[in-house]
Amino acid sequence: MARFLVKRTLSAVLTLFAVSVLTFLMFFALPRDPVTGMCPKNCNPERLERVRQELGLSDPLVDQYAGYMKGIVTGRDLGGAQGGHCDAPCLGWSYVNNEAVTDTLARVVPVTLSIVIPAAILWLLLGVGLGLVSALRRGTWVDRAAIGCTLAGASLQLYFVGAVLLLVFVYTLGWLPVPSYTSLFDDPVRWAGGLVLAWLSLALLFSAGYARLFRAQLLETLGEDFVRTARAKGLSGSAVYGRHALRAAITPVVTVAGLDVGAALGGTVITETTFGIQGLGRTAVDAVRAGDLPTIMATVLVAAVFVVLANMLVDLLYAVIDPRVRLG
Amino acid sequence: MRPRVAVAASGAFVLVAALSACPANTGGNPAVDSGRQPTGVLATDPKDSTGPAPEVAGARRGGTFTILRETPISHLDPQRTYSFAGLMAAPLFARTLTTWKDDGAGNLMLVGDLAETPGRDVNDDCRVWEFTVKDGVRFEDGRPVTAREIAYGIARSFDPDLAGGPTYLQEWLADTPQYDTAWDFKANRTSLPPGLSTPDGRTLRFEFARPRCDLPFAASLPATAPLPPDRDTGVNLGNAPFSSGPYQVTRFRAGIEIVMERNEHWDAATDPVRHQYPDRFVWSFGATPDAAANRVIADSGADQSALSWDYVPASLVARVAGDAALRSRTLLSPTPSANQLVINNERVTDLRVRQALNYAIDREGLVKVLGGPHVAVPMTTLMPPATIGHRAYDGYPAGPNGDPEKARELLGGQRPELVLGAADSSVEQQVATQLKGNLERAGFVITIRNIPDDAKFDEIKKRGNPWDLYLSSWAADWPSGASILPVLYDGRAIRATGNSNESYFDDPTINAEFDRILALPPSEQGPHWAQLDERIMREHAPVVPLYVDVAYLVHGSKAGGAFVSSVFGYPSLVNAHVEP
Amino acid sequence: MSLSPVDGTVRAPIEPGGAAGGSRARRTAGRSPGQLVWLRLRADRTALVSGATLVLFLLVALAAPLIELAYGIGPQDQFQGKLDGFGLPLGHAGGVSGEHFFGLEPGLGRDVFIRLVYGLRTSLLVAVTAAVLTAVIGVVLGTLAGYLGGWLDAVVTWITDLTLALPFLVVALALTPMLTLRLHGQRDAVPPAFGVGVLIVIFAVFGWTGTARLVRGQVIALREREFVAAARASGAGPGHMLFRQLLPNLWAPILVSFSLAVPQFVTGEAALSFIGVGLTEETPSFGRMIHRSLGYLQTDPAFVFFPGVLIFALVFAVNLFGDALRDALDPKSSR
Repeated sequence: MARFLVKRTLSAVLTLFAVSVLTFLMFFALPRDPVTGMCPKNCNPERLERVRQELGLSDPLVDQYAGYMKGIVTGRDLGGAQGGHCDAPCLGWSYVNNEAVTDTLARVVPVTLSIVIPAAILWLLLGVGLGLVSALRRGTWVDRAAIGCTLAGASLQLYFVGAVLLLVFVYTLGWLPVPSYTSLFDDPVRWAGGLVLAWLSLALLFSAGYARLFRAQLLETLGEDFVRTARAKGLSGSAVYGRHALRAAITPVVTVAGLDVGAALGGTVITETTFGIQGLGRTAVDAVRAGDLPTIMATVLVAAVFVVLANMLVDLLYAVIDPRVRLG
Repeated sequence: MRPRVAVAASGAFVLVAALSACPANTGGNPAVDSGRQPTGVLATDPKDSTGPAPEVAGARRGGTFTILRETPISHLDPQRTYSFAGLMAAPLFARTLTTWKDDGAGNLMLVGDLAETPGRDVNDDCRVWEFTVKDGVRFEDGRPVTAREIAYGIARSFDPDLAGGPTYLQEWLADTPQYDTAWDFKANRTSLPPGLSTPDGRTLRFEFARPRCDLPFAASLPATAPLPPDRDTGVNLGNAPFSSGPYQVTRFRAGIEIVMERNEHWDAATDPVRHQYPDRFVWSFGATPDAAANRVIADSGADQSALSWDYVPASLVARVAGDAALRSRTLLSPTPSANQLVINNERVTDLRVRQALNYAIDREGLVKVLGGPHVAVPMTTLMPPATIGHRAYDGYPAGPNGDPEKARELLGGQRPELVLGAADSSVEQQVATQLKGNLERAGFVITIRNIPDDAKFDEIKKRGNPWDLYLSSWAADWPSGASILPVLYDGRAIRATGNSNESYFDDPTINAEFDRILALPPSEQGPHWAQLDERIMREHAPVVPLYVDVAYLVHGSKAGGAFVSSVFGYPSLVNAHVEP
Repeated sequence: MSLSPVDGTVRAPIEPGGAAGGSRARRTAGRSPGQLVWLRLRADRTALVSGATLVLFLLVALAAPLIELAYGIGPQDQFQGKLDGFGLPLGHAGGVSGEHFFGLEPGLGRDVFIRLVYGLRTSLLVAVTAAVLTAVIGVVLGTLAGYLGGWLDAVVTWITDLTLALPFLVVALALTPMLTLRLHGQRDAVPPAFGVGVLIVIFAVFGWTGTARLVRGQVIALREREFVAAARASGAGPGHMLFRQLLPNLWAPILVSFSLAVPQFVTGEAALSFIGVGLTEETPSFGRMIHRSLGYLQTDPAFVFFPGVLIFALVFAVNLFGDALRDALDPKSSR
């Protein structure tokens, strides 16, 4: 177990390192000069050059990268134009947002968490519920309708569904408040009210896959020996379902859910844009548009951390749930 | 299978039924009055510069006035402010040397704000200016504003760390565009830049090497806001500016909202334009223009006293304009933002080709692409109609839909191959496609070359850029020809990068005209600029004027008093109030 | 599978055991697995209807220039005279008439029908090509990793993790303009084919991980099977092993991931347009049109309806057909 953990962690660190290097290189290949955005209407080349030097943008790439990484570990001094000293973990200063990038992250990460986690619970419940129903009523019209509806849901486009939901429930009927983010700890009711449409839209899109997966798993486990044994031992139908089949069938669902949630935590760009909520995804996209390197680096890294962590967790979970998996 | 197909089929059926229930669109012509013209003067009577500002009919104190805007205001540092939102927000918390008295209908008068008058030209040669600071103007902590704090504000705008604001005063004082090398703010925090002095606590004196007749206008920008040195927090001032206006910033949540509440030390008697009606202003960021417009139209809860800052999106204009019940809740006004098809004069050197381009454009079709007359009004002059002294003319009359025959005739059988550089934003792509159609109809061969949206702004300002045509717009910092024509068409100012003269037009006789008119007193310049405007177009056709932006905004039923600024084309909040 | 940050694109999961190989099917029936799948598909009415719809879409896409000829209107032709002062189409339902089957675009006044026909062509070209590419990359890497194992396996697995960890939309947003600038002179027209190519490459680079994982797992399972062991024992070379023994047993997972990839890429193109990357205005595409149409929900609903329904129909048909295909490929299916 310990060996597995060490190995997995090393691989994860290596992945994050590669992500950071790739992002850094990608940014410097961007057609936009990051300095020009900081110059007003009548800027001149001399002043641009001085800004560039002050920001260290004319240093070799390796030095710049090293400086950035050092900042994360020990903090570093940025110029007066960047708010002075920046404590560890220093992710740099964003000219576009006029604030330290750590502040930006502290603001937007909770937003994305608030969108994704409840949505994931919703799509799991919906997916597993529909999958269960269709497995139990296998071959009947209920089965087909359930799977057909989830497939139809998955075939809709989020921005399309979002726009229609907004127009109907918010602007026309006024049943729901305008989507916005309020902290859960400030006001749980407003928190939920402002995000419920985002949860529903995501759930609609994601639940189809889970319904299909859970249905297939359930049917398969129901056909397996241990379930038949349980039945033969005289256990009632519900006990067979509850204790044995469901537990076995839920494992792969949890696995896939872990990966999906990890990826979604990296930013739900379309959802955030559709509902006008500023989370990690929209912040990342805005940063790329504005050529805001510190924010790009930070958002990409945080997203990568979520994905990598989710991957590790899923592997671990798998080993815990399923004793057949050996770690080594 | 049946249920699955049935689900799909019934969904489609409902939608088709809903569609066919819609009434037919039989057209009709939306009309927008765009012919108004500003009458601008500098206040000569000091009484014009004294407060209090006349009460707004029906206004009362109290309530929260909300402004919905998609893009956050990243900072509120007056010395760094240059965005429209920043410029319109600044008057709430920052007073400046001079300011515009504006009725929202084009009647403008430049008055003293912190100063008793809009400046005194000491020797009548525009080289030495003096401003006398009013009695009774105070900061949010109650201490009086003196000439020293105003001078310190101007001094700190020399700091290259504080990037972003206008550079008129710095360049004029240092007499060089490299002002920050001429005078180093960080090394001289206790002294003042060359040419700037405070003979006494109430007098601020500018001495320039050359005549700077536009100083009173330039002093209206927020860069002349005062700041005590002990309150200078560098880049962090943007989150907590030190107020001298009727409101102070009490909450700054970057990217989310800004809350401003009454500043008790502001004295209405000293202020010629501002009011202090609402208890607070809340700037709320993030809602897309679509969402903001829909919220405000829905008019429920806090949105009743909200204003959607962004213009009504083109796709929603017909909905808003078609709803008579919304008429009283919209603001409609042409703005000073002028849009041109800029011709790169260093590449397209044949005058007849440039003239043919002017004949070929179908402005009516272009306005349709943009969303109709609530979004854009065609323009044939260099200066927008909202400029002081503007006179309408059409150097290349081609009717509303363009005159491809006339253009062909001018081209005399050649088929010039031109590259149109266009930003890859949705709107500009549409406009470029439209223009390409117009020009090819007239015999041109047009290639559209996409430029990344953020990069385009800088790329077309580089001399020797590879494109023949590009779309650009100019919004002047004050409504005088002086901040338009010489800025955009003086060939002597062309340098390697960062050019405002994006057409790279350079003509010695025109350059000489600029010098002549700039030396006239500002109040007399208007007609001269209008004359020169027409002359440049007729003799040189350096660009194709296309349209001016129209401000079309919608607000909640209780959001009163907002009007479209005649200077910047965005909502001014000095009269804003919440109706009961 | 890894397009997940496109939250509009579903990571439709692939059941690990669901497609456990045609080898078992070979035992149970006297027919070849291919025949069996074909029979099952033919018996499934959902598969028939959705399959026929797909064929129809393909034909329309292929015949776009012919349709243009018969219809008499090109994708760039403008009819601004048929728009009102706001730039909205005159007449019923967004200007639907005998001449313009689906009405006109607001603003530029181009014909919606012919642009959708060409948009279908673009979308299918992007989606199918990218899906084929991802399948090829995924199968090659998955087979190599699974069959050879060792350090190669570790490397492929790590690259998979890395690809999954990079946010797709952000990278696409950064790369697209960069590639355009690097590969074209500043005055050159960028041909629409280039934009399409860039999209395909981006999808391929990010889309292969799912297939690779699936194939790898499958190959590892097969490696231990009797018939493979037997072939190896009888001295078969690696080529024989890969092409004669393994590949025939991988068709099921390949087809399944292909059927999942196509709708992903169709919606992926639309999602990219939504954040402002993708094709140019002159290239008719579903994504661009839908993105622009959404604002007109209240002023010109027909303009939202036609592209929206068409892309829904396309994605739904592929999803239904893919679903039926999985059923047919699953030997335990008893429908």
